[in-house]
Amino acid sequence: MAKSDEKGKTEAKEGMGSAGKFSDILGLGVQTKNVVEDENPAAGFRMLKAAGFSCADFSLNYYLTNVSLYRSQRNDFFDRSEQELERYFTPHRQGAREAGIRIHQMHMPYPIYIPNGRKELNEYLWKVVAPKSVAVSAFFDCYYLVVHGFKLARNLGSEEAEWEWTERFLHSIAPIAKEMGVTICIENLYSNAGGHLVEGPCCNGKKAAERIDRINDQYGAEVLGFCFDTGHANLVGLDFEEFITTLGQRLKVLHIHDNDGVGDLHQIPFTFTKTRENTASTDWEGFVRGLRAIRFDKVLSFETAPVLDSFPGEMKSEALAFIARIGEWFSRQLSS
Amino acid sequence: MNISISTIGIVNANIPGQGTQDIANAGFDKVFLEFGVFCSPYELEEAGMPAKGERQSDRISVADEPSEMGPQSARMLRMCQEKRLRVSIARAPYLPRDTKRTDLQELLARLQEESIRCCGEAGCNYLVVRPLFAGISAGQEWEKNRVYYLRLAALAREHQVMILLENQCRFVNGHLIRGICSDGETAAEWVDRLNQEVKEERFGFCMDVGVCNLCGQDMHAFARALGKRIKAVVLRDCDGHRENSLLPFLCTYQGQPQTDWLNLIRGLRDIGFDGELALDLSGTASGFSPLLRPQLLTLAKAVAEYIRWQVEIETQLGKYPSVVLFGAGNMCRNYMKCYGEKYPPLFTCDNNPKLWGTSFCGLEVRPPEALKELPDGCGVLICNIYYREIEKQLRELDVKNIGFFNDEYMPSFHFDRLKEAGSDGEIG
Repeated sequence: MAKSDEKGKTEAKEGMGSAGKFSDILGLGVQTKNVVEDENPAAGFRMLKAAGFSCADFSLNYYLTNVSLYRSQRNDFFDRSEQELERYFTPHRQGAREAGIRIHQMHMPYPIYIPNGRKELNEYLWKVVAPKSVAVSAFFDCYYLVVHGFKLARNLGSEEAEWEWTERFLHSIAPIAKEMGVTICIENLYSNAGGHLVEGPCCNGKKAAERIDRINDQYGAEVLGFCFDTGHANLVGLDFEEFITTLGQRLKVLHIHDNDGVGDLHQIPFTFTKTRENTASTDWEGFVRGLRAIRFDKVLSFETAPVLDSFPGEMKSEALAFIARIGEWFSRQLSS
Repeated sequence: MNISISTIGIVNANIPGQGTQDIANAGFDKVFLEFGVFCSPYELEEAGMPAKGERQSDRISVADEPSEMGPQSARMLRMCQEKRLRVSIARAPYLPRDTKRTDLQELLARLQEESIRCCGEAGCNYLVVRPLFAGISAGQEWEKNRVYYLRLAALAREHQVMILLENQCRFVNGHLIRGICSDGETAAEWVDRLNQEVKEERFGFCMDVGVCNLCGQDMHAFARALGKRIKAVVLRDCDGHRENSLLPFLCTYQGQPQTDWLNLIRGLRDIGFDGELALDLSGTASGFSPLLRPQLLTLAKAVAEYIRWQVEIETQLGKYPSVVLFGAGNMCRNYMKCYGEKYPPLFTCDNNPKLWGTSFCGLEVRPPEALKELPDGCGVLICNIYYREIEKQLRELDVKNIGFFNDEYMPSFHFDRLKEAGSDGEIG
């Protein structure tokens, strides 16, 4: 696969549907899942563009789902060679380009390690799926590939021991990522205690910042960045503003979505309330303050594919357009 | 580690006889006193405002006159003394998390001062004083609280009281998220800076497990960040979404606890916690009929002792000159993984004759009869969940020094579990 150009060269600022008036933000994005179909990817990208998006979060993870992996099952999608994957995704890349959509970020299949899973499957995830995901990312000229850290603290005894395993994995793909100009982004996740979603990997902003800096220093390149997931942060009560400002420029990618603070619902921001006043129970003001404080200048990307499952199919375009309008509102808040 | 119990939901502050007696009868000898019972968060919310409707008012409101704290708490404190219940820890009045009042900082300071005086009189060494949050703009938290806490330091010294800061939630339109002192490292820094300013250890920390749970926090990491600064732990259960103070282990979903007890216990073990374990089951107690409270409190005592036992599990393992295990299954395997090197057993026993003479995790598996000939002082640790049946069997074998091991809250776990043994109903 061809090595990407330097990010600064190609990451030109793009408009957001209406003449690029929000100059600080590079674009608005959303997941391709439920919109871009393999049979006719160009149509899906055109729909995203028409809704007001200029970027997309390519849902590579849906080619090998977590549901099947947790059942210790896998399909043969990543058995394809890199060239075969390129051929497979050529219509997608072409369709995105023609529609004027840039693939800003991509999600690697997860989990990349299954505790108590079959050894062959774990080796396959680590040694086959992960490097090929980096290659696919580069093929799309997508600079940011989001990965999930390992959820092993219960078994290994501490978050530090868990991170050691994640770091070992990151080192296994960092050289390829560096070569291909891709930044691997770790994401704040949750764990489960009796159905109560609690802090999981990468929920400590200070530690994440230190680790990112250390690893990037080691490689002399930005091989590692951060993906802030608003929904996950809301579930475990993180202070958005503090977390974002702690990360600063290490924050490369966003997963914007909302929930009730109980379940990982991936719904439209401002959806949930908990009081009679009906004011949003997710701290969107803190989110905006945080992004403003670090002068966030990348893509406002929504991880709201489940919204398209809950709305009637006939309303897909309208639902996407509404999400894009919210993105524009966020953008205005950041540029004002 | 001291165990105490909050009086809220159990003791009526005006008629404290029965509640304090119930507490004493359950075997507690220490209580966690909430001064909030004399000046509730909602009373504070209305401080200085005209009384609404028929406000019951033959008593002077402590919120209106803080010096009333002493006289109004005197009856409760006297009753505790009578029942030989020591107030080992107390919490000063505080505002509701969704307060609209931003003008009460001076009143709060005066209430904390009165609380310190009351602690001094009761011989209580720890007073939890929640940080100020209402009316404090972002970025001003430390400076405002620094002044607030330092104001209390001299009086606290005079009354030999240590002031404990506490982790807080922040109310965001009904959603409770991480608030002041909920970051362990920052909280540790606050405690250290305050102590440096007063040139003595006058400040410590109280870890509210309920708040950690509401914020979905990694309690292992939180406890380790604060270390020995943690002088008290408020032990309470909740579903992780709504404020509640339930007896630990009551909040479960599909058989799993909704509070991450594993990481709490790991954290308290790692820091060698030896302070006040303050049980707050006010929500559970209020839900139970007064007729059932005595039984509930007996259970509460057993729960607190169990948590203490788990935190101090290594102390139990180290008290024997040598140990033998009973059980050659997962629990024995977990023992060997985490403690086998430090406390190596002489051998293990099992009731399954097929295992006799075999080796399991490096231990010889012997029949139970082998326990008849043990070195002096050797402990026999039951490593099987059928504790009571095996204990009975061991007593029949005239085994001395029977102890229990439990692997629910291990420092680490294997990635897999061995298949259940004894599917034929045989123990071991």
